[in-house]
Amino acid sequence: MLEKIGYTNLRYYVGGMADWVESGSPVEKLEPVTAMPRTGQTVQTPISRTSSWSGFLDLLAGWSLERLVGFWLGMILVFGLVYWGAGISMGWGLQAGNVAVKPDLEGLGTAIYFSFVTALSIGYGDVIPVGPLRILAVAEGIAGLLTFGCVISKLVSRRQEELTVEIQRTTFDDRLDRVRTNLHLVFSDFGAVQQLQAEQGSLPAQVLRRLESTVRVFRGELQTVHDLLYRSHVVPDEEALESLLANLVICLQSLVELNGSRPVNDGQSPALDSSLRAISNLAREICGECVPNNYAPALKDSMDQIQELARKFA
Amino acid sequence: MAQAESKPDSHHAYRVISREEILARLQDPALWLVNVMPKETFEAGHLPRSINLPVAEIEKCARQVLPDMAREIAVYCAGPT
Repeated sequence: MLEKIGYTNLRYYVGGMADWVESGSPVEKLEPVTAMPRTGQTVQTPISRTSSWSGFLDLLAGWSLERLVGFWLGMILVFGLVYWGAGISMGWGLQAGNVAVKPDLEGLGTAIYFSFVTALSIGYGDVIPVGPLRILAVAEGIAGLLTFGCVISKLVSRRQEELTVEIQRTTFDDRLDRVRTNLHLVFSDFGAVQQLQAEQGSLPAQVLRRLESTVRVFRGELQTVHDLLYRSHVVPDEEALESLLANLVICLQSLVELNGSRPVNDGQSPALDSSLRAISNLAREICGECVPNNYAPALKDSMDQIQELARKFA
Repeated sequence: MAQAESKPDSHHAYRVISREEILARLQDPALWLVNVMPKETFEAGHLPRSINLPVAEIEKCARQVLPDMAREIAVYCAGPT
Protein backbone atom coordinates (compact mmCIF):
# COMPACT_ATOMS: atom_id res chain seq x y z
CA MET A 1 0.00 0.00 0.00
CA LEU A 2 2.90 2.30 0.81
CA GLU A 3 4.33 2.13 -2.69
CA LYS A 4 1.04 3.47 -4.04
CA ILE A 5 1.57 6.63 -2.06
CA GLY A 6 4.94 7.04 -3.70
CA TYR A 7 7.61 5.51 -1.53
CA THR A 8 10.33 4.24 -3.77
CA ASN A 9 12.81 2.47 -1.57
CA LEU A 10 10.63 -0.04 0.26
CA ARG A 11 11.88 -3.35 1.54
CA TYR A 12 9.92 -6.02 3.32
CA TYR A 13 11.02 -7.96 6.33
CA VAL A 14 8.98 -11.03 5.53
CA GLY A 15 9.59 -12.90 8.79
CA GLY A 16 8.11 -10.05 10.80
CA MET A 17 7.84 -9.99 14.59
CA ALA A 18 7.45 -13.78 14.81
CA ASP A 19 10.81 -14.40 13.15
CA TRP A 20 12.46 -11.59 15.09
CA VAL A 21 11.32 -12.82 18.49
CA GLU A 22 12.15 -16.44 17.61
CA SER A 23 15.74 -15.51 16.83
CA GLY A 24 16.04 -13.89 20.24
CA SER A 25 16.81 -10.43 18.85
CA PRO A 26 16.15 -7.42 21.08
CA VAL A 27 12.55 -6.29 21.37
CA GLU A 28 11.44 -2.89 22.54
CA LYS A 29 8.29 -2.45 24.57
CA LEU A 30 6.24 0.54 25.55
CA GLU A 31 4.81 0.30 29.01
CA PRO A 32 1.43 1.96 29.31
CA VAL A 33 1.41 4.61 32.03
CA THR A 34 -1.02 2.63 34.13
CA ALA A 35 0.08 -0.90 33.57
CA MET A 36 -3.04 -2.78 34.60
CA PRO A 37 -2.90 -6.47 33.91
CA ARG A 38 -5.85 -7.54 31.83
CA THR A 39 -7.99 -10.21 33.34
CA GLY A 40 -6.91 -13.70 32.50
CA GLN A 41 -3.42 -12.78 31.48
CA THR A 42 -0.89 -14.52 33.59
CA VAL A 43 1.16 -11.88 35.28
CA GLN A 44 4.53 -13.04 36.43
CA THR A 45 4.91 -11.58 39.86
CA PRO A 46 8.57 -11.18 40.54
CA ILE A 47 9.40 -13.46 43.44
CA SER A 48 12.45 -12.39 45.30
CA ARG A 49 14.48 -15.55 45.57
CA THR A 50 16.55 -14.63 48.55
CA SER A 51 17.64 -18.18 49.23
CA SER A 52 17.49 -21.63 47.82
CA TRP A 53 15.00 -22.33 50.60
CA SER A 54 12.28 -20.12 49.13
CA GLY A 55 13.23 -21.53 45.74
CA PHE A 56 12.51 -24.97 47.12
CA LEU A 57 9.14 -23.80 48.45
CA ASP A 58 8.25 -22.37 45.03
CA LEU A 59 9.18 -25.65 43.47
CA LEU A 60 6.91 -27.52 45.87
CA ALA A 61 4.04 -25.13 45.22
CA GLY A 62 4.44 -25.64 41.47
CA TRP A 63 4.12 -29.41 41.63
CA SER A 64 0.93 -31.25 40.80
CA LEU A 65 -1.13 -32.88 43.51
CA GLU A 66 -0.15 -36.41 42.50
CA ARG A 67 3.50 -35.53 42.48
CA LEU A 68 3.29 -33.87 45.88
CA VAL A 69 1.56 -36.87 47.46
CA GLY A 70 4.13 -39.17 45.85
CA PHE A 71 6.97 -37.03 47.17
CA TRP A 72 5.47 -36.99 50.63
CA LEU A 73 5.00 -40.77 50.83
CA GLY A 74 8.44 -41.37 49.32
CA MET A 75 10.02 -39.07 51.87
CA ILE A 76 8.39 -40.89 54.77
CA LEU A 77 9.56 -44.27 53.47
CA VAL A 78 13.12 -43.05 52.95
CA PHE A 79 13.24 -41.61 56.47
CA GLY A 80 11.87 -44.90 57.82
CA LEU A 81 14.62 -46.80 56.01
CA VAL A 82 17.23 -44.44 57.43
CA TYR A 83 15.98 -44.95 61.02
CA TRP A 84 16.09 -48.68 60.45
CA GLY A 85 19.50 -48.63 58.73
CA ALA A 86 20.94 -46.50 61.54
CA GLY A 87 19.95 -49.24 63.94
CA ILE A 88 21.78 -51.90 61.95
CA SER A 89 24.97 -50.11 61.07
CA MET A 90 25.64 -47.97 64.12
CA GLY A 91 23.85 -49.66 66.88
CA TRP A 92 21.82 -46.63 67.84
CA GLY A 93 18.34 -46.25 66.54
CA LEU A 94 14.81 -46.34 67.80
CA GLN A 95 13.64 -47.50 71.16
CA ALA A 96 10.23 -48.90 71.96
CA GLY A 97 9.65 -48.97 75.68
CA ASN A 98 13.35 -48.77 76.60
CA VAL A 99 14.14 -51.69 74.30
CA ALA A 100 16.08 -51.01 71.12
CA VAL A 101 14.18 -51.81 67.97
CA LYS A 102 15.78 -54.83 66.30
CA PRO A 103 17.19 -54.52 62.80
CA ASP A 104 14.85 -57.18 61.41
CA LEU A 105 11.69 -57.04 59.32
CA GLU A 106 9.55 -56.20 62.31
CA GLY A 107 12.01 -53.44 63.13
CA LEU A 108 11.59 -52.07 59.62
CA GLY A 109 7.85 -51.95 60.13
CA THR A 110 8.33 -50.12 63.41
CA ALA A 111 10.73 -47.65 61.77
CA ILE A 112 8.28 -46.83 59.00
CA TYR A 113 5.48 -46.52 61.55
CA PHE A 114 7.63 -44.11 63.54
CA SER A 115 8.37 -42.20 60.36
CA PHE A 116 4.65 -41.71 59.63
CA VAL A 117 3.92 -40.70 63.20
CA THR A 118 6.72 -38.13 63.02
CA ALA A 119 5.89 -36.75 59.57
CA LEU A 120 2.27 -36.25 60.56
CA SER A 121 3.47 -34.70 63.84
CA ILE A 122 1.31 -37.09 65.81
CA GLY A 123 4.06 -38.13 68.19
CA TYR A 124 2.45 -40.95 70.21
CA GLY A 125 5.69 -41.51 72.02
CA ASP A 126 5.52 -45.29 72.00
CA VAL A 127 8.62 -45.40 69.78
CA ILE A 128 11.30 -42.80 70.39
CA PRO A 129 14.48 -41.85 68.57
CA VAL A 130 17.78 -42.03 70.39
CA GLY A 131 20.92 -39.93 70.00
CA PRO A 132 21.54 -38.09 66.74
CA LEU A 133 18.41 -39.64 65.26
CA ARG A 134 16.42 -37.08 67.23
CA ILE A 135 17.77 -34.33 64.96
CA LEU A 136 16.71 -36.34 61.94
CA ALA A 137 13.27 -36.89 63.42
CA VAL A 138 12.76 -33.16 63.98
CA ALA A 139 13.87 -32.44 60.41
CA GLU A 140 11.40 -34.99 59.12
CA GLY A 141 8.65 -33.43 61.19
CA ILE A 142 9.26 -30.04 59.60
CA ALA A 143 9.58 -31.34 56.05
CA GLY A 144 6.55 -33.59 56.45
CA LEU A 145 4.34 -30.78 57.73
CA LEU A 146 5.41 -28.42 54.94
CA THR A 147 4.77 -30.95 52.21
CA PHE A 148 1.48 -32.02 53.73
CA GLY A 149 0.44 -28.38 53.90
CA CYS A 150 1.16 -28.02 50.20
CA VAL A 151 -0.97 -31.10 49.48
CA ILE A 152 -3.89 -29.67 51.45
CA SER A 153 -3.66 -26.24 49.80
CA LYS A 154 -3.56 -27.91 46.40
CA LEU A 155 -6.71 -29.85 47.24
CA VAL A 156 -8.52 -26.71 48.29
CA SER A 157 -7.42 -24.52 45.38
CA ARG A 158 -8.15 -27.25 42.84
CA ARG A 159 -11.88 -26.79 43.05
CA GLN A 160 -11.43 -23.04 43.07
CA GLU A 161 -9.36 -23.09 39.89
CA GLU A 162 -11.97 -25.23 38.18
CA LEU A 163 -14.62 -22.73 39.17
CA THR A 164 -12.60 -19.77 37.89
CA VAL A 165 -12.09 -21.40 34.52
CA GLU A 166 -15.76 -22.30 34.37
CA ILE A 167 -16.84 -18.75 35.18
CA GLN A 168 -14.46 -17.27 32.63
CA ARG A 169 -15.74 -19.61 29.96
CA THR A 170 -19.40 -18.86 30.65
CA THR A 171 -18.83 -15.11 30.67
CA PHE A 172 -16.95 -15.39 27.41
CA ASP A 173 -19.68 -17.49 25.78
CA ASP A 174 -22.33 -15.09 27.01
CA ARG A 175 -20.43 -12.19 25.56
CA LEU A 176 -20.09 -13.88 22.18
CA ASP A 177 -23.78 -14.66 22.23
CA ARG A 178 -24.60 -11.05 22.94
CA VAL A 179 -22.38 -9.84 20.12
CA ARG A 180 -24.05 -12.25 17.72
CA THR A 181 -27.54 -11.18 18.74
CA ASN A 182 -26.65 -7.52 18.55
CA LEU A 183 -25.15 -7.94 15.10
CA HIS A 184 -28.33 -9.62 13.98
CA LEU A 185 -30.41 -6.73 15.32
CA VAL A 186 -28.10 -4.26 13.64
CA PHE A 187 -28.55 -6.10 10.38
CA SER A 188 -32.35 -6.05 10.54
CA ASP A 189 -32.28 -2.38 11.51
CA PHE A 190 -30.09 -1.56 8.54
CA GLY A 191 -32.56 -3.44 6.35
CA ALA A 192 -35.47 -1.45 7.72
CA VAL A 193 -33.69 1.85 7.19
CA GLN A 194 -32.77 0.81 3.67
CA GLN A 195 -36.38 0.04 2.90
CA LEU A 196 -37.51 3.39 4.27
CA GLN A 197 -34.90 5.08 2.20
CA ALA A 198 -36.06 3.29 -0.94
CA GLU A 199 -39.67 4.23 -0.28
CA GLN A 200 -39.20 7.84 0.72
CA GLY A 201 -36.03 8.78 -1.08
CA SER A 202 -34.60 10.50 1.95
CA LEU A 203 -34.22 9.89 5.63
CA PRO A 204 -36.52 11.70 8.05
CA ALA A 205 -34.76 13.07 11.11
CA GLN A 206 -36.28 10.39 13.32
CA VAL A 207 -34.93 7.60 11.18
CA LEU A 208 -31.58 9.27 11.10
CA ARG A 209 -31.47 9.22 14.91
CA ARG A 210 -32.30 5.54 14.85
CA LEU A 211 -29.60 4.88 12.32
CA GLU A 212 -27.13 6.77 14.47
CA SER A 213 -27.89 4.58 17.43
CA THR A 214 -27.71 1.39 15.37
CA VAL A 215 -24.40 2.39 13.86
CA ARG A 216 -23.10 3.10 17.36
CA VAL A 217 -24.08 -0.37 18.53
CA PHE A 218 -22.46 -1.83 15.46
CA ARG A 219 -19.28 0.07 16.17
CA GLY A 220 -19.18 -1.28 19.71
CA GLU A 221 -19.61 -4.86 18.59
CA LEU A 222 -17.06 -4.46 15.82
CA GLN A 223 -14.64 -3.24 18.47
CA THR A 224 -15.38 -6.34 20.52
CA VAL A 225 -14.66 -8.65 17.59
CA HIS A 226 -11.55 -6.65 16.75
CA ASP A 227 -10.26 -7.01 20.30
CA LEU A 228 -11.14 -10.67 20.26
CA LEU A 229 -9.01 -11.19 17.18
CA TYR A 230 -6.11 -9.05 18.32
CA ARG A 231 -5.65 -9.50 22.02
CA SER A 232 -7.89 -12.14 23.42
CA HIS A 233 -6.39 -14.66 25.77
CA VAL A 234 -9.28 -17.00 25.12
CA VAL A 235 -9.56 -18.01 21.50
CA PRO A 236 -13.18 -18.76 20.60
CA ASP A 237 -13.89 -21.96 18.75
CA GLU A 238 -13.87 -21.55 15.02
CA GLU A 239 -17.55 -22.27 14.63
CA ALA A 240 -18.56 -19.43 16.93
CA LEU A 241 -16.06 -17.12 15.29
CA GLU A 242 -17.28 -18.07 11.84
CA SER A 243 -20.87 -17.11 12.61
CA LEU A 244 -19.67 -13.88 14.21
CA LEU A 245 -17.61 -12.95 11.18
CA ALA A 246 -20.43 -13.90 8.81
CA ASN A 247 -22.77 -11.62 10.74
CA LEU A 248 -20.19 -8.87 10.60
CA VAL A 249 -19.84 -9.26 6.84
CA ILE A 250 -23.57 -8.98 6.15
CA CYS A 251 -23.87 -5.99 8.45
CA LEU A 252 -21.00 -4.26 6.72
CA GLN A 253 -22.39 -5.12 3.32
CA SER A 254 -25.71 -3.63 4.19
CA LEU A 255 -24.03 -0.56 5.65
CA VAL A 256 -22.01 -0.14 2.46
CA GLU A 257 -25.19 -0.43 0.38
CA LEU A 258 -26.91 2.06 2.62
CA ASN A 259 -23.99 4.38 2.28
CA GLY A 260 -23.70 3.84 -1.46
CA SER A 261 -27.29 4.44 -2.52
CA ARG A 262 -27.20 7.86 -0.97
CA PRO A 263 -24.28 8.91 1.18
CA VAL A 264 -25.44 8.72 4.74
CA ASN A 265 -22.56 10.75 5.98
CA ASP A 266 -23.41 13.86 4.01
CA GLY A 267 -22.71 16.09 6.94
CA GLN A 268 -26.19 15.87 8.43
CA SER A 269 -24.99 14.04 11.46
CA PRO A 270 -21.52 14.45 12.94
CA ALA A 271 -22.16 11.52 15.29
CA LEU A 272 -22.83 9.25 12.35
CA ASP A 273 -19.75 10.53 10.58
CA SER A 274 -17.43 9.76 13.42
CA SER A 275 -18.98 6.35 14.02
CA LEU A 276 -18.60 5.45 10.37
CA ARG A 277 -14.98 6.57 10.38
CA ALA A 278 -14.28 4.46 13.45
CA ILE A 279 -16.00 1.46 11.87
CA SER A 280 -13.95 1.85 8.73
CA ASN A 281 -10.70 2.09 10.69
CA LEU A 282 -11.50 -0.92 12.82
CA ALA A 283 -12.68 -3.08 9.97
CA ARG A 284 -9.60 -2.30 7.94
CA GLU A 285 -7.46 -3.90 10.56
CA ILE A 286 -9.31 -7.17 10.22
CA CYS A 287 -7.83 -9.38 7.56
CA GLY A 288 -6.68 -12.97 7.39
CA GLU A 289 -3.01 -12.04 7.32
CA CYS A 290 -2.87 -9.18 9.74
CA VAL A 291 -4.45 -10.78 12.82
CA PRO A 292 -1.92 -12.46 15.10
CA ASN A 293 -3.46 -15.93 15.10
CA ASN A 294 -3.67 -18.28 12.19
CA TYR A 295 -7.23 -19.25 11.37
CA ALA A 296 -8.90 -21.64 8.93
CA PRO A 297 -9.05 -20.42 5.29
CA ALA A 298 -12.81 -19.85 5.48
CA LEU A 299 -12.32 -17.52 8.43
CA LYS A 300 -9.48 -15.70 6.73
CA ASP A 301 -11.73 -15.20 3.71
CA SER A 302 -14.39 -13.61 5.89
CA MET A 303 -11.79 -11.36 7.48
CA ASP A 304 -10.48 -10.31 4.07
CA GLN A 305 -14.03 -9.59 3.01
CA ILE A 306 -14.46 -7.35 6.04
CA GLN A 307 -11.32 -5.44 5.17
CA GLU A 308 -12.40 -5.02 1.57
CA LEU A 309 -15.83 -3.78 2.56
CA ALA A 310 -14.21 -1.30 4.91
CA ARG A 311 -12.31 0.23 2.02
CA LYS A 312 -15.57 1.07 0.31
CA PHE A 313 -16.29 3.62 2.99
CA ALA A 314 -13.44 5.84 2.03
CA MET B 1 -9.82 -15.51 -1.77
CA ALA B 2 -10.55 -11.85 -1.70
CA GLN B 3 -7.27 -10.13 -2.25
CA ALA B 4 -6.71 -7.06 -0.17
CA GLU B 5 -4.58 -4.23 -1.44
CA SER B 6 -2.00 -4.85 1.21
CA LYS B 7 -1.08 -8.23 -0.21
CA PRO B 8 -1.39 -8.18 -3.97
CA ASP B 9 -0.45 -11.07 -6.24
CA SER B 10 2.85 -9.50 -7.09
CA HIS B 11 3.96 -10.22 -3.57
CA HIS B 12 7.14 -11.90 -4.69
CA ALA B 13 8.21 -8.86 -6.63
CA TYR B 14 8.80 -7.03 -3.34
CA ARG B 15 12.36 -6.43 -2.34
CA VAL B 16 12.92 -8.22 0.89
CA ILE B 17 15.27 -7.51 3.74
CA SER B 18 16.71 -10.21 5.96
CA ARG B 19 16.78 -10.32 9.72
CA GLU B 20 20.56 -10.33 9.65
CA GLU B 21 20.67 -7.12 7.67
CA ILE B 22 18.23 -5.40 10.00
CA LEU B 23 20.24 -6.57 12.99
CA ALA B 24 23.44 -5.27 11.46
CA ARG B 25 21.86 -1.92 10.67
CA LEU B 26 19.90 -1.37 13.88
CA GLN B 27 21.97 1.74 14.57
CA ASP B 28 21.90 2.99 10.98
CA PRO B 29 19.71 6.11 10.82
CA ALA B 30 19.43 5.80 7.02
CA LEU B 31 17.20 2.76 7.41
CA TRP B 32 13.73 3.36 8.78
CA LEU B 33 11.91 0.50 10.43
CA VAL B 34 8.15 0.61 10.05
CA ASN B 35 5.77 -1.55 12.04
CA VAL B 36 2.33 -1.76 10.39
CA MET B 37 0.55 -3.54 13.23
CA PRO B 38 -2.16 -1.89 15.37
CA LYS B 39 -1.05 0.35 18.21
CA GLU B 40 -1.72 -2.18 20.99
CA THR B 41 0.33 -4.86 19.27
CA PHE B 42 3.10 -2.37 18.64
CA GLU B 43 3.20 -1.38 22.29
CA ALA B 44 3.43 -4.99 23.36
CA GLY B 45 6.70 -5.40 21.51
CA HIS B 46 8.47 -4.18 18.40
CA LEU B 47 11.87 -3.94 16.79
CA PRO B 48 14.05 -1.33 18.46
CA ARG B 49 13.83 2.11 16.88
CA SER B 50 10.81 1.23 14.74
CA ILE B 51 7.97 3.58 13.89
CA ASN B 52 4.36 2.51 14.28
CA LEU B 53 2.11 3.06 11.26
CA PRO B 54 -0.98 0.83 11.52
CA VAL B 55 -2.24 -0.45 8.17
CA ALA B 56 -5.52 1.38 8.68
CA GLU B 57 -3.75 4.70 9.01
CA ILE B 58 -1.34 4.38 6.13
CA GLU B 59 -3.35 6.46 3.70
CA LYS B 60 -4.04 9.12 6.28
CA CYS B 61 -0.75 9.43 8.12
CA ALA B 62 2.03 7.97 5.99
CA ARG B 63 3.23 11.35 4.72
CA GLN B 64 3.45 12.85 8.17
CA VAL B 65 5.14 9.88 9.77
CA LEU B 66 7.46 9.14 6.88
CA PRO B 67 8.08 12.43 5.11
CA ASP B 68 11.01 11.23 3.01
CA MET B 69 9.68 9.24 0.05
CA ALA B 70 13.09 8.09 -1.16
CA ARG B 71 14.31 6.87 2.20
CA GLU B 72 15.08 3.21 2.60
CA ILE B 73 12.21 1.76 4.59
CA ALA B 74 11.94 -1.73 6.05
CA VAL B 75 8.32 -2.71 6.59
CA TYR B 76 7.23 -5.60 8.79
CA CYS B 77 4.21 -6.95 10.61
CA ALA B 78 3.37 -9.85 12.92
CA GLY B 79 4.79 -12.66 10.85
CA PRO B 80 5.31 -14.04 7.37
CA THR B 81 2.69 -12.51 5.06
